[in-house]
Amino acid sequence: MNWVSENASLIGTLVLLGATILMLFPTVSNSSGKRSKLLGYLLIPVSLAALGWVFLQPTGDMVRDILFYVAGGTAVIGGLLMTTERNPVYAALWFAVATLGVCGLFVINSAPFLAAVTIIVYAGAIVVTFVFVIMLAQQEKSAGYDRIPQQPLLATILGCLLVGTMLVGIHKTFGPAEPALLAVDRSNLHVSSRPVEGDLGSPRGIGRTLFTDYLFAVELAGTILLVATIGAIAIAPRRPQGSL
Amino acid sequence: MTWTFFLTTIITIGVAFGGLMGTIAYLILVERRLAAFIQDRYGPNRVGWAGLLQPIADGAKFLLKEDVIPGHVNKVLYILGPSIAVFTAMAGFAIIPFGPVDQAPSWMRFVIAPNVDIGMVYIFCIGSLGVYGVILGGWASNNKYSSLGSMRASAQVVSYEIPLGMSIIGVVLLTGSLNLNTILEHQASQGFIGWNIWTQPLALLIFFVSALAETNRLPFDLSECEQELVGGFHTEYSSMKFALYFLGEYAHIITVCFLTIILFFGGWHFPFIAEADSAYLGATLVKVLVLLTKVLMVILLIMFIRWTIPRFRFDQLMNLAWLGLIPMAAVNILVVMTAKQFDWPLWTLTVGSFAIFIAAGLIGTSGKFVVGEQSVDFGESPEGHVHAH
Repeated sequence: MNWVSENASLIGTLVLLGATILMLFPTVSNSSGKRSKLLGYLLIPVSLAALGWVFLQPTGDMVRDILFYVAGGTAVIGGLLMTTERNPVYAALWFAVATLGVCGLFVINSAPFLAAVTIIVYAGAIVVTFVFVIMLAQQEKSAGYDRIPQQPLLATILGCLLVGTMLVGIHKTFGPAEPALLAVDRSNLHVSSRPVEGDLGSPRGIGRTLFTDYLFAVELAGTILLVATIGAIAIAPRRPQGSL
Repeated sequence: MTWTFFLTTIITIGVAFGGLMGTIAYLILVERRLAAFIQDRYGPNRVGWAGLLQPIADGAKFLLKEDVIPGHVNKVLYILGPSIAVFTAMAGFAIIPFGPVDQAPSWMRFVIAPNVDIGMVYIFCIGSLGVYGVILGGWASNNKYSSLGSMRASAQVVSYEIPLGMSIIGVVLLTGSLNLNTILEHQASQGFIGWNIWTQPLALLIFFVSALAETNRLPFDLSECEQELVGGFHTEYSSMKFALYFLGEYAHIITVCFLTIILFFGGWHFPFIAEADSAYLGATLVKVLVLLTKVLMVILLIMFIRWTIPRFRFDQLMNLAWLGLIPMAAVNILVVMTAKQFDWPLWTLTVGSFAIFIAAGLIGTSGKFVVGEQSVDFGESPEGHVHAH
């Protein structure tokens, strides 16, 4: 019980986060009236503020802090609403918003190339394909079993446990030795605040790293993509000319 | 960050934004007059001298018309669609240098966001978000024609992003930078023969064709082709929201024309009057004017293309990208990489480009390539398609 009382702030924040997610999940609309999601929406800023208060320390650079809070908040809110949104088109769009938030974090941490490529690949191509498929597939109202979450409680608990585990892990690796709160010193996590090679985030630096340090992984990934491409061509049905 | 820096940025954004908006308004007039000229009629010539006040009348009409939102649409996404279209088109312009950046006056810069090292990647990143405007507008309209238009648009834009990105890799390899201003000055420092058009003509062709497809212009405007889809993705849009789609499209065209000039035609460089080291009085202004004149030429070319080449069919459109432009772009990258690796002289790239083009043309026009029982034709040029179909 000693551990629990020491980490009360961590556990309390996670419980608050879990409650927010549970409130946001859609319910069966035709039985016993529709529960309003207003409470869930109101809880979002509260739980975000609690998360920030417990885990974040200002780095002293105000502009940077504000940018971090905006980008991080966008990513978390986008992720929350993507999970709990009933309409798949909205869910895909919230996923795109979450991606943009994460890319904002990349930019803050001096990795603009990574951010741009992530936007091109995820927001620009993958989510567009999702929306494309959803538009093709979902013309009518979806079936009842598609409209309610199947295991909201279990999913929320497991998700919060995972987040807690990761936070404790990060804390053990990067955090200060004797914390009052469970606070992670973010200045350690920032790539740009560490002495690194000058052009690590630039295309030149990324290219050099990929083709020297990680050459084997790059070649392996390329081979897998090639195999996947050949497989996709092999299973694609042949169509008569001009019937696209 | 000082206050002067902040003020300079504000002024630059104001100049760029105002210039862009005014240009777009008058480009629409130019386009209508040009269309009328090509079709042997007068065009709008009543408002003001030779119709010069027509854009203002159009703008007032767009703003003052009743703002209809049909009852059957998804309101949030219906309004979000045109907003995204305009936002992405404007954000893409942020890193385009519209003058000699080094010689800018102290109170303003010639690029809104200077020293963006990922330059071209940023442009593609913003451009890839632009497709949301069309998709969401079409889907939210809850109309079969709109949905068909937006589906065509998404397939088209996602496909043509690939040759668009691959075509400029040759230029980037030759310069050694993704920064637009570095690419521009690399060409200007080498004079007239340093323009990338001489070493990368095939890349220019692929880039320009893909860019036309990205902007949904004729001959690639299948997402809004009137004969089949009424108005395509913007069938349900009226008044200012319709105008916003047009604004986005024209801003996109202007961005693409700037890119064409900066990547392939030496930007503000012109022999004798605007060299890299010319320092006579007013040289900066001359350079800005040279750049803008070049851009205007490309815009006029795009408008002439619109009224000259008929619209593609959808399978032709897809074949052009996947069977024509992408293989050619890939081989072009290979040629540039080989030439860089073995330090071949630059003229080998010109020869290589023409060799690829001729080889692709021969493959495309020399009959059918048999795959299984079906015959697949490799058409990479409009001529090839006329032959094949």
